[in-house]
Amino acid sequence: MRILRYIGRRSLFIGPQLFGIILVSFLLVKLIPGDPAVMMLGPFATEEQLAMLNEEMGLDGTIIDQFWIYLQNLVQGDLGTSWQTTKPVFDDLAIRFPATLELITLSLLLALLIGIPLGVAAAYFKRSIVKKFSDYYGLLAGSLPDFWLGLILIYLFYTIMQVAPAPLGRIDFAVLPPAPVTNFLIIDSLIAGNWQALWSTLGHLVLPVVTLAVINAGPILKMTQATMERMLESDLIRYAEMCGLPKSVVIRKAFRNSLPSVVTIVSVLYGFLIGGAVLVEIVFSWGGAGQYAVQGVLNADINPVLGFVLFSAILSLIIYLLVDLIYFAIDPRIRG
Amino acid sequence: MAAVAKTSGSARAGEPETTMSGDAPSGAMLEIAGLNVSYPVYEEEPVHAVRDLDLSVRSGEIVGLVGESGSGKTTLARAVMGLLTQPGRIDSGSIRFDAKDMRALSENQLRAIRGRDIAMVIPNPRSELDPLIPVGKQIAAVARAHLDIGRAEADAMALDMLKAVHIPDPARRFRAFPHELSGGMAQRVVMAISLVCSPKFVISDDATSGLDVTVQAQVLDLLRTLVREHDTSMLFITRDVGITAHFCDRVAVIYRGEIVEFARTADFFENPQHPYSVMLLAAFAHNPALRNKWHKPLASTEAEAGRACLYAPRCVHREDECDARHPDLRELGARHLVRCHFPVERVA
Ligand SMILES: Nc1ncnc2c1ncn2[C@@H]1O[C@H](COP(=O)(O)OP(=O)(O)OP(=O)(O)O)[C@@H](O)[C@H]1O
Ligand code: SF4
Ligand SMILES: [Mg+2]
Repeated sequence: MRILRYIGRRSLFIGPQLFGIILVSFLLVKLIPGDPAVMMLGPFATEEQLAMLNEEMGLDGTIIDQFWIYLQNLVQGDLGTSWQTTKPVFDDLAIRFPATLELITLSLLLALLIGIPLGVAAAYFKRSIVKKFSDYYGLLAGSLPDFWLGLILIYLFYTIMQVAPAPLGRIDFAVLPPAPVTNFLIIDSLIAGNWQALWSTLGHLVLPVVTLAVINAGPILKMTQATMERMLESDLIRYAEMCGLPKSVVIRKAFRNSLPSVVTIVSVLYGFLIGGAVLVEIVFSWGGAGQYAVQGVLNADINPVLGFVLFSAILSLIIYLLVDLIYFAIDPRIRG
Repeated sequence: MAAVAKTSGSARAGEPETTMSGDAPSGAMLEIAGLNVSYPVYEEEPVHAVRDLDLSVRSGEIVGLVGESGSGKTTLARAVMGLLTQPGRIDSGSIRFDAKDMRALSENQLRAIRGRDIAMVIPNPRSELDPLIPVGKQIAAVARAHLDIGRAEADAMALDMLKAVHIPDPARRFRAFPHELSGGMAQRVVMAISLVCSPKFVISDDATSGLDVTVQAQVLDLLRTLVREHDTSMLFITRDVGITAHFCDRVAVIYRGEIVEFARTADFFENPQHPYSVMLLAAFAHNPALRNKWHKPLASTEAEAGRACLYAPRCVHREDECDARHPDLRELGARHLVRCHFPVERVA
């Protein structure tokens, strides 16, 4: 089958691609100013102490040596340790990546629910209020910073109305979290049958999810609208009109044919949000992957940064593969 | 009416002319009068794609509409369907189809007529067919949209249509996607789509222009057979005047949006009277190279002359009067309309 051949061909490149990403990010991260040994031992450390620590951390050799050591460890599944959390980076990321993924996956789903209907309606009803609204929405969503919107929502719904939980993490401190299996709290709560945890998790998700969804619905709306507008003027739709097909059928046809570009923008947003949701994560004390990486950058804690880049890269590759599979499913021309 | 319609070209020859569309209004399936269509251009004179156009097609009749590229043929067809492309608009005139005033109908009423009563056969159906849906399903979708039938019945009708348009291995093609079909097969699918609801009226817009000559002949033959079988009327739009000879009951020549000659086919070919028609026929009779050249719009040296004959800049018979006065469409001989001050004398 063509699709299997395709996946096979695709996976051949995964190794080299990952290697390239690691190499480049290793070099770039090394360029970040700041000496971890100094950071760790404080300003009063002696030269010997610093040298010892550097040797211990494998930071005394050349950059090539260091890279070689990193690769050797990596092959054994060892991403090094974060000196800030003092835990293996892999373990940290195993918690923090699901935190971020849970957040941005739900956000993008909601963003789709907002962006697609608005985009379709704005494209179809060209001189309507919906179209006006969509134009302003696109403009606003594009210009508002997401963390600002997050703060406003917190102020409104937590501080004033007190209907939302405190913006302090993924679950109430008072609630016993479910036993970690996937570290996606929703899934783990379901597995454990822990309804209290589920309820609390969902409650904590509402505001950050709405924040990210409202902002990211902007590009989805724009892309849907632009593609649909083009599609509605296309030969395909003109011919459908010529055949007297009902409105609903015509719109569905136009949308189905616009779907690839919607899928593309969603995949781009998804890849972007893995790191790009960091400000919202900070505002809500989410403890997500982006936050972890930024902390690493600020404190010359290299291993978390590299680990984050590696995880993100793998995830992006998975997303692109999924996108291609979706194209396969949608379009018989690719299926061949 | 149907019995007369088959041979309508000659059957009504003796009837008096009451309109300039060359037809008695009673038997008309389509009756266009005084139609003006233009495309506004920003800060400029709009493009007048169709001007003061009168045309009629009777029940059961095939009328050919011949004109070079850009003469307004597709615009006319789309105006009839109520589906002009942006920014086109109808400035004036009436379009009556099957005793209904098409311009007065709502969008929903038009939707019910399109594909059901009037169907259009388009050329080169590459981007028109839905790439994501098997062609059989696309035929069935049109049937379901207009006829009160279920999915299975619609599929059966679609399969029958695929057989009717002589697609080889119809059951397999039913499930094929557009990109898996050759140009000729795609053309047949489009014919199947247009004929699946047994429309009263078919507009074929340059339906075979993209096909090579043998396939073209097959497709045309098939189209004619199907149309004649169902007693359907047809407006047959083409750039190829030669095709109309075997195909049409009457032939109209359109030049820059105006009908310049409209006559029964035999009349037209024996005794063309407009200088432009003569040029066309001469070119087709003698020189295939010229024929190809004619497909390209000639460099437009013509000014938007409000009063002159539109054909004057290219006319070999041009005289002073041609620049001073725009000729009207007038009747010269039995149901033979010509728009020219100095029509060509019978050659023979
Ligand atoms: N959407 C549009 N906007 C502006 N002008 C248009 C549009 N469609 C057609 N025209 C103009 O209207 C005139 C008639 O075009 P039309 O497509 O009806 O010609 P045609 O006879 O069908 O030509 P062809 O044989 O090439 O299909 C041309 O001058 C063309 O440039
Ligand atoms: S009116 Fe004059 S210019 Fe126009 S077609 Fe006739 S002879 Fe030619
Ligand atoms: Mg055309």
